[in-house]
Amino acid sequence: MSAVDAVGDAAPSGVGTATGIGTAAEGGPAAGLDRTGGTGMGSDGQRIRRPGRAVGTRFFRSELRLIFGRRRNQAGMLALAAVPVIIAVAMRVTDVPAEGHNAPGFFSSITSNGFFVALAALGVELGLFLPIAVAAIAGDSVAGEANLGTLRYLLTVPVGRNRLLAVKYAGIVVFAFTVTLLVASVGLVAGLALFGGGPVTLLSGTQVGFGDGLLRLLAVCGYLAVGLCALGAVGLFVSTLTEQPMGATIAITMLSVTSFVLDQIPQLDWLHPYLLTHHWQAFGELLRDPVEFDALRPGLLSAAAYIAVFLSAAWARFGARDVTS
Amino acid sequence: MSVFHTRPALRWLVPTGTALAIIGGGAAVGTFASAAEPSLPERSAAQLLVDLQTARLDGLSGTVIKRADLGLPSLPGIGGQGSAELTSLISGTHTLRVWHAGPDKTRLALLGTLGETDVIRNGSDVWVWDSQQNEARHSTLGVGGGAVPKGRPDHLPSTPQEAAEQALAAIDPSTEVSVGRSATIAGRDAYELVLEPRDETSLVDQIKIAIDAGEHVPLRFQIIPQGTRTPAFEIAFTQVDFERPDPAQFAFNPPPGTKVTEEPLTADKPATSPASLERPTVVGTGWTSVLVAKVPQLAAVADADAQGGQADLVRSILGGLPKVSGDWGSGRLLKGKVFTALATDDGRVLIGAVTPERLYEVAQGNR
Repeated sequence: MSAVDAVGDAAPSGVGTATGIGTAAEGGPAAGLDRTGGTGMGSDGQRIRRPGRAVGTRFFRSELRLIFGRRRNQAGMLALAAVPVIIAVAMRVTDVPAEGHNAPGFFSSITSNGFFVALAALGVELGLFLPIAVAAIAGDSVAGEANLGTLRYLLTVPVGRNRLLAVKYAGIVVFAFTVTLLVASVGLVAGLALFGGGPVTLLSGTQVGFGDGLLRLLAVCGYLAVGLCALGAVGLFVSTLTEQPMGATIAITMLSVTSFVLDQIPQLDWLHPYLLTHHWQAFGELLRDPVEFDALRPGLLSAAAYIAVFLSAAWARFGARDVTS
Repeated sequence: MSVFHTRPALRWLVPTGTALAIIGGGAAVGTFASAAEPSLPERSAAQLLVDLQTARLDGLSGTVIKRADLGLPSLPGIGGQGSAELTSLISGTHTLRVWHAGPDKTRLALLGTLGETDVIRNGSDVWVWDSQQNEARHSTLGVGGGAVPKGRPDHLPSTPQEAAEQALAAIDPSTEVSVGRSATIAGRDAYELVLEPRDETSLVDQIKIAIDAGEHVPLRFQIIPQGTRTPAFEIAFTQVDFERPDPAQFAFNPPPGTKVTEEPLTADKPATSPASLERPTVVGTGWTSVLVAKVPQLAAVADADAQGGQADLVRSILGGLPKVSGDWGSGRLLKGKVFTALATDDGRVLIGAVTPERLYEVAQGNR
């Protein structure tokens, strides 16, 4: 331990960390330092107040550029944004009578108010598309860097492991909020263009003004994004387990799909409240009159619990892990 | 933090601890909430009954959870969670929201996952709003007011009050009334009134009514069948507020684009019974009374090769039930947790909250 401390204190942390992780380069004598050294590096970001702190949001900003700048992510977001447009156009072209029996979600209301395109699109994408998008970003977060071999360079730039995790998770959170708002706003624009707006009819049969409706839509987006953030926390943990981003993404997607499937099995109703996705559908509570905010509490609490457990698990796994790529 | 560098494996204690704390904390809150027995001044069963009948309810709003596990076979299109159809109330777990501001201003909302059915009474107007079908039904009550029609064949009580009223109507010498443990329901202290049928052939072991200590309003209603502690039917407030709700809650204007149907009042119309049906007779009194109806069509459907979707449906439902026979004849038996139904092959239907043996007895004596 003293050797590690000495390295950490004496050398600029860039050098110190390089010693810590460089299993292959250092060879024999350094091998003993490997784990502790690697771990020590995570914390010297906190112990040593170095001028690098002043960089502040630079890493975060570069992470955002990475997420929103990648072609594949842009293509994914385009696909997400296409769904509300397809819904709106299809409803416009086919002109199905409004009163459909058991029309799912808000489809029956679309023709009378374009506002509902946004809600219908969110409802449709919530089952698979949005979770896949978040899974792709979360799975890519740590495993992607490891796969490209950039993870150790990231850590040698004076970036602590905790800070790396924090920035990666912040990126996932921003992405989750962005895609939900993206789907809602594209849906809103498409809906208003094709069907027009006007007062919004709530589930309770009362009407509120369009502005009030927009506020509720914003709250729905916020609530759903919090749920997706919980999925993102699980994803960040899964991503620290592997160096294959594809594998992580698939695992996270399967987790969310499994959660949805289990939620449909009535025999497992004792399990339902604990499922990750169980409370997502409760966003409908925001469209009643009056809104009972108590009904949203279980969803938010469950998301907070998932985030706490899986972020700390990611921290435990990533802090204790040998970074070799 | 430093211990986490020297022994990285210890890091795993943090997520494990967090998970345990969350699960344990959640469980503990639940346990304490149900175990806590508020100390309330003694009140006799008779006093509680008087409290119940004299309770004046100015206003109330709250959330009600209804759980029904009647042991019914799952029928197509009936029941299920998250459904906002009124007929689904017969089984499963449902959340309702209620508002009450005097007898002529009530609103009841059955919450589905992304839908809602509201029954709103405001003065003489009664509205039924169905968000999934986007339709509203309107009926006007007579000048004298009168009660909200309860003629639905599937009518089950939807608030603890309504359930308690029905149970109290059944109190007679065959019932033993006692005071149970006090409880905390929806954050309020409550007495518990226990009704126990004396008759051994009753399937109902106990009916428990929890009564708010301050407002004397039923907060929870449970039917506990013989041989178990878990209620087969339960209606309870999870949140309740005795403030008078805003009158705006009771104003309903059908939104544009809604299909509005005007319905005449259906108070006495037998909802689904065909004209040829005889009026059912009731055998026995109190808890063990048995309803006997003659349904000749049933016999025709059951053995002949009657065609048609309805006949097929009836046959498939009956066919799934166990065949029983005895001195009284033979038929199919539907055994729920708190009631039993017998459809005999000669076209009689017997229903009661009693054991099958009692039904056979009635069937024998009522040929």
